[in-house]
Amino acid sequence: MSEFDPKSAAAHGLALCHVCGLVSPVREEQCPRCGGGLHLRRRESVQRTWALTIAALVLYFPANLLPVLRVESFAGAQQNTIMGGVIQFWQEADYPVAIIIFVASVVIPVIKIIFIVALCLASQTGRRPRTMTRLYRVTEFIGRWSMVDVFVVAILVAVVQLGSTISIHPGAGALSFAAVVVLTMFAAMSFDPRLIWDAAAQSEDAAAPSEVVMR
Amino acid sequence: MHPLNAIEQLACPDCDALLAAPRLEEGEKAICPRCVAPLLSHERNALHRTAAFAAAAALLFAVSNCFPFMTLRAGFRESEMLLWQSASGLGAEGYAYLGVAVCFFILIAPMLLIGGLLYLVLPLLRNRRLPGAILLCRWVLAVRRWNMIEVFLLGALVSLLKLGKLASLTLGTSFWSFVGLILCLTAALASIHPRELWGRLEASKP
Repeated sequence: MSEFDPKSAAAHGLALCHVCGLVSPVREEQCPRCGGGLHLRRRESVQRTWALTIAALVLYFPANLLPVLRVESFAGAQQNTIMGGVIQFWQEADYPVAIIIFVASVVIPVIKIIFIVALCLASQTGRRPRTMTRLYRVTEFIGRWSMVDVFVVAILVAVVQLGSTISIHPGAGALSFAAVVVLTMFAAMSFDPRLIWDAAAQSEDAAAPSEVVMR
Repeated sequence: MHPLNAIEQLACPDCDALLAAPRLEEGEKAICPRCVAPLLSHERNALHRTAAFAAAAALLFAVSNCFPFMTLRAGFRESEMLLWQSASGLGAEGYAYLGVAVCFFILIAPMLLIGGLLYLVLPLLRNRRLPGAILLCRWVLAVRRWNMIEVFLLGALVSLLKLGKLASLTLGTSFWSFVGLILCLTAALASIHPRELWGRLEASKP
């Protein structure tokens, strides 16, 4: 019994080129069309994903605890964390903006990290391969939207050059925050959803072979 | 023959199911029977549409970078912000890494995408490919996920509301062309499927 799902291309010794999508025998090592390296599965997929996710989780704390923005005006200096910005919008009754920032900056990174951990676990257990594959696609899609707050900081810093009245400076939180987004994007990229299907095929063999036919 | 119909075997990128490639008529799509990943799509006039939208995007990208994106007025003072200043402003504040990242997400990635698409697709209309096309196609497809112009637009709207209370902020020409740029670039990328692009590149004459 091979480690691959018997219905998969890998079980037939065929590799999908991750660059151009051509299916060729893996022993050719290089894609005959685009020259990309051929691998049956992404290399060290789960280990890399774990490493990047843990790094993102560590940086998630400074990203939320350190100020992303420092505003200096007549009233004195004021430091703003991401959550502080959300609360400020909420108090000023800008509910839609408060919700957008809260979802993009606080909820999505946490959900992404949870999803990636769930995917890594699923690549071992092989449970619910269809749902987990859908989860993988959602994770890939939502990743970039957490960058909103970094762009807000970039725009505010650039547009406010009115030295005498107010000035706005970026804070260390913004850098950590951008790092969280980039790291989780790399984590999602290094994950190989096909591992879930390999694990699912194995557990199906072990339990009841005719129970679920995925078609 | 349409290049999509030259494909014999397909492997699903998400679940690796080995499938015999179906013959697609115009307007049809193929999805994986096991995990519903999109596999192929045969759009009408895919190349022409991609070329047209990419050309429009190139023009709008130039406009977006030449005119002010936002103007801030407070009392007698007025400051204009150009698109690239959102990256250089961070650099000037000592956040060079962040500035480089922002520059990549909103300027370099879209520029590579637009330029790359035009370099690939325009010659393909005559069934030709220019030198380096294969390598460039790899770059163009890889850079897609790092293009964050639509996220930047959401950020611009949020900053508008954030500053609106402190000073009067007006949107410049660049802002509106930027909105058009997002629509055109999204349409250019949506019209052509990577596998079709590769199939056409393979079939073209150097």
